Amino acid sequence: MDFIVNTLTLTVRFSAALLMASMGEMFNQKAGIFNLGCEGIMSMGAFLGMLIPFSIGGASAVPWYVNILGLLAATVCGALLGLLFGIIVITFRAPQGIAGIGMQMFGVGLAGTFFRSYIGGTQSITGINATAIPGLSRIPIIGEVFFTHNPVVYFAYLMVPVAWYVIYKTPWGLKVRAVGTHPRAADSLGINVTKVRYQSLAVGGAMAGFAGAFLTLCQAKMFNAGIINGRGFIAVALVYFGKWHPVKIFLGAVLFTFAQVFQTQIQIFVPQFQYYEFLTMLPYILVIVVLAFNRESNKLGPAALGKSFNREMRV
Amino acid sequence: MKKTLLVSIMVLLTVSMLFAGGAGETAEAKKEIKVALIVSSTIDDKGWCQAMHDGIQQAIEELPAGKIADYKAVENTQPADTMTAIRTYVNLGYNIIIVHGSQFRAQVEEAAAEFPEVMFAFGTTTDIIAPNVFSYMPQSEETGFLSGIVAGMTTKVNKVALVGPIDGGDAARYNRGFVLGVQSVNPACKIQITHIGNFNDTVKSGEAAQTFIQGGADVLTGSSQQALGALRAVADYPDKDIWWVGQDLAQIDLDEGYKCIAASSYNYKAVLIGLVEKFDEGKLGGELIPMNFSNGGFVWGWNTAKCADKITPEIKKAVEDKMAEFKAQANILANWSDVDYSKL
Repeated sequence: MDFIVNTLTLTVRFSAALLMASMGEMFNQKAGIFNLGCEGIMSMGAFLGMLIPFSIGGASAVPWYVNILGLLAATVCGALLGLLFGIIVITFRAPQGIAGIGMQMFGVGLAGTFFRSYIGGTQSITGINATAIPGLSRIPIIGEVFFTHNPVVYFAYLMVPVAWYVIYKTPWGLKVRAVGTHPRAADSLGINVTKVRYQSLAVGGAMAGFAGAFLTLCQAKMFNAGIINGRGFIAVALVYFGKWHPVKIFLGAVLFTFAQVFQTQIQIFVPQFQYYEFLTMLPYILVIVVLAFNRESNKLGPAALGKSFNREMRV
Repeated sequence: MKKTLLVSIMVLLTVSMLFAGGAGETAEAKKEIKVALIVSSTIDDKGWCQAMHDGIQQAIEELPAGKIADYKAVENTQPADTMTAIRTYVNLGYNIIIVHGSQFRAQVEEAAAEFPEVMFAFGTTTDIIAPNVFSYMPQSEETGFLSGIVAGMTTKVNKVALVGPIDGGDAARYNRGFVLGVQSVNPACKIQITHIGNFNDTVKSGEAAQTFIQGGADVLTGSSQQALGALRAVADYPDKDIWWVGQDLAQIDLDEGYKCIAASSYNYKAVLIGLVEKFDEGKLGGELIPMNFSNGGFVWGWNTAKCADKITPEIKKAVEDKMAEFKAQANILANWSDVDYSKL
């Protein structure tokens, strides 16, 4: 029983960063922009999320609002980087895949450079600690699995219904879907495609920045140059995995994290299984297999995904 | 006219002789030692790469002033970028190039063949790669064994854990030495091991450590720079009896070092001084440099400032007795590779 409870508890705790980043990427892609730069934006978010509490308190505990300030700074920075990406792919209509790779390198490189300049070597912070919710955390099994986490974890989970509501129940969400599906039709109905796409990139970037800060403030509680380590790319894959739907993306993020935690648990509790290389591959294999069997994904995705929009052209 | 021609020839000859003299100076200048380091992480990673960088810095201070004319490090290098870095350094006149990490083996083999006049040092491996490559291999089963003694005698629940990067190189030796060390003092102790499959992912190693702690382990250790994430996870439990044994002395000085009872380190200073001596003798490689306690390749430190109450006289004696054995004779733990994780 301990094995199951531990696996589930850690799955809930560690899925938050992927969840936020993939929700953000969903906003980008729903609007027709494919942002491979998620990894770079997460790196900058991770750095800024750590920089503010570290600058104020070093490795000592800081007031709660300083950590929140770190999260906010990362979120704002993420939004700005999203807008910068917008300038490249919306205004200048650069190919989105190539620009995304550039943004990834830019973000990772910039975060590493700033980190070296302002902090120096690997440093840790106190960060935001997990807190058991009084009463609820005492419920057998469920209490430990769901109610013993960092407050930011709950916020990330809350973003799932919020994202669903925004995308499917608000006028702005309808505009986002419209510009991602048929920008010319949206334009003819008076929707400012460029503006909506910029807004989506800002929202997506903000969530990616937040996800990066989650890693440094709530999970690793430290920064190093390679801290994101491919999680931004996994977030992009999870959007396909979840067929651009917030609830399915959420399930994908939880399933991927479960596979990560499960493989560690297998290594620990089943030492007879000696092929740890296979186990560490397991979560990635899972994503590839699901994507391979998702043959209908392209039909469900935003029709204008990856296509730039130019209202002066008739195509 | 003839006189002018004669004077011109004399001038040309004089200039030629001057240049000939200069060639001697150039040959002299070639003996100037310039050291380059190529690492996969950063030189301040409080782990594998920093240990080498610090060792080089210490060697530069200990050697006569100017003996090493220049030292440069290139960080965050992937195997695909390694040849570019090596060629750049060779073109800039660097003649001792240390490529620090077993993942760079193919590139070192290629570079050694391309630049036979340059000395390369590469680790970790026990193989002799080329006549101009010195291989180095920390026999870290010794440091792992000492960490295991500390862990096995400190645990109160008889459950200790290790967060490893990959099961290879010196990490594999440290991990198996750790198992032997724990078993030597506490055969009933459960030893749990995981490999995160990566040298640098501190987030993943933190997750692994949290998994162990949730599972009840109360003393953890880990090797390579990824282990910092695990140490940070241990520090998430300031009021609980959960402890860490480090594989780099720098971990004691970290803010979370209050959880680190003791740590070992590689002493690369001795390695670099040895390389410089060999270079002066004109030998560029073709040998294995083992690192162990008996040749000063390792150092051990207690965290007496922050963990004095955890360092009992019994633990200290057990570690120091074993360390004395290691210093007296190398390769005591030749059976380290027999450790079978599946039987733990």
